[in-house]
Amino acid sequence: MPELIRIKNLSKAFPVRGDWFKPWRSKKQQLKQGVHALNGIDISLQQGETLCIVGETGCGKSTLARVLVGLETPDQGEVWYGGEEISRLNDRQRMKFRKRMQMVFQNPYASLNPRMTVYQILQEAVALHHPELNHEGQDQHIRQQLESVGLDQTAEDRFPHEFSGGQRQRISLARALSVGPELIIADEPLAALDVSVQAQVLNLMMDKQAEHNLTYLFITHDLSVVEHFASRVAVMYLGRICEIADRATLFSAPKHPYTQALLASMPRLDNLDETPIPLQGEVPTVYEDIEGCSFCRRCPHATQRCFEQIPVALNLEDGSQVACHAIEEGRVWK
Amino acid sequence: MSLLTVRNLNVNFAQRQQPIAALLDINFSIEPGERLAIVGESGAGKSLLGAAITQLLPKPGYIASGSVTLRGKELTQMSAKQWQEVRGQRIAMIFQDPMMTLNPVLSIGAQMVEAIRSHTRIGYKDARKMAIDKLAQVRIASPSQRFEQYPHELSGGMRQRVIIAIVLLLRPELIIADEPTTALDVTIQAEILQLLKEVCESHGVALIFISHDFGVVARISERTLVMYAGKIVEQGATLEIINDPQHPYTQGLLNALPQMALPGQRLNQITGNMPSPNERPSGCAFHPRCRYATERCAQETPNFINTDVSIAACILLEELVSHEEEPDA
Repeated sequence: MPELIRIKNLSKAFPVRGDWFKPWRSKKQQLKQGVHALNGIDISLQQGETLCIVGETGCGKSTLARVLVGLETPDQGEVWYGGEEISRLNDRQRMKFRKRMQMVFQNPYASLNPRMTVYQILQEAVALHHPELNHEGQDQHIRQQLESVGLDQTAEDRFPHEFSGGQRQRISLARALSVGPELIIADEPLAALDVSVQAQVLNLMMDKQAEHNLTYLFITHDLSVVEHFASRVAVMYLGRICEIADRATLFSAPKHPYTQALLASMPRLDNLDETPIPLQGEVPTVYEDIEGCSFCRRCPHATQRCFEQIPVALNLEDGSQVACHAIEEGRVWK
Repeated sequence: MSLLTVRNLNVNFAQRQQPIAALLDINFSIEPGERLAIVGESGAGKSLLGAAITQLLPKPGYIASGSVTLRGKELTQMSAKQWQEVRGQRIAMIFQDPMMTLNPVLSIGAQMVEAIRSHTRIGYKDARKMAIDKLAQVRIASPSQRFEQYPHELSGGMRQRVIIAIVLLLRPELIIADEPTTALDVTIQAEILQLLKEVCESHGVALIFISHDFGVVARISERTLVMYAGKIVEQGATLEIINDPQHPYTQGLLNALPQMALPGQRLNQITGNMPSPNERPSGCAFHPRCRYATERCAQETPNFINTDVSIAACILLEELVSHEEEPDA
């Protein structure tokens, strides 16, 4: 599979608001005090795969998506799309990449303009990215898109509030697909939906992937969805990637202590007898600049070294990548 | 005697023409110390049922008929003043979003002491001591420091722990928890569930746990009610329902879970959406989405059938049972 996206050493920090001395501080100082959303992320995305990014609230997974589509500019690092570096393009240069990658957001109640009809919402995207279509061509294209996500023609003239959550997420997906992208970045698209509706949307997304050979970057905190849907999984914790592995490898043999805890606390129906691995302490806030491994304070295997040195990603034999001192030293998972 | 008994409860929403029925004919009871879960999709009326028990129905909702009794005492007829002695002290509630429940401008301690002192005649010093003890019980580190802090200084999981501590202060007999872990991360969710289970056991409190997630419900509850469109469709022991769901809706809910399909395969979705209360289908409300539906389902309202596993309301089960009985007769 050819590589679609390569992210190299990506970092992004947000300066904390309300710093009175901000004008007198250097950029470096400002960032040191800020929220470190991403800290040296290295990851690549292959054509046609589904990469799921998992992690708890505040681990930076949404920021990663926003940097990819260009809604945020990274402080450091590069994003290579095909053969081009795209993280610092201006709006005009970015247009052609916008056509190639589209985003579906978490909350379909907020991501669709309430004052536009469904037709207008889709037409906006189509007119911008397919200027060659005339009015009739647009009409036809929009109708096709709506049909392909299972909405009928009467939906065109209705407003977003007239639809249920699942239907709205279909509209978001139709809007994203109407441009004809090769990559769809979906930021928790199922979080606001019920189980049965989740299944509907997930099925639709899988159908579309098969139909258009789409690549998905799927961000979620729901591990059961990941297990079902992903081809590769990246686990993030406080701005760093702890583990990247194939789905089957990750779920059958999780290596990083955080991944293990995450899998054990997953509310499934077939692991009722297992007790979750208790994690000590509280999640550190993102404001703190942690020196060592970001997971050291909650990790049951942490040693002095974990508090002092940032672990480097190791390539293991089964193809997974793990950043953990304990694994490197052979204390866990040999 | 049961702790809480709900009999033929109907909740309506007043409208200009005709009231809309939101809860229909709810019957269940809960024993002291029992943990009961209410499961269903959004719009099934599970939160409304919690609100109806505590008389916190949003306007223009009202209890049209039926009774709710707590240890034999009728709750639906009580005055607001009588309710003050029940809410908090005998029935307590935990809601989904802890930030919405806690007052952002009062410290944790002030809110805990307020809860104690508005219900009892305990002095500030003793109340403070009680509060700190309870914070320690819900495993909050350095409780006397946390006592002084404000809700925004705590993480989501800690806020939910504080709420559990506040709820326990008055030693209620029943806690109604409305999706208390939905806003939390998986690892924190597991901790909170464990904690809730422990405190219920150690304090002998009964729990009504409202959720849409069977995975969570399986971990905390002993018995489960499944609701659909304002009605209970199935009730029985949690693990038995999960292993062998009787009602087609329960089967659909469980089958829709991603773990029930092989990775990469299509999920078994339930087609369509939950009907809104003002366009309730005739007969069995689930029939337009049910894959086993027959003509009878559209016309007749199903009765509850006792199966080996649970009590479920489905015409199919009725037919099954009557078929089994025929040869004997």
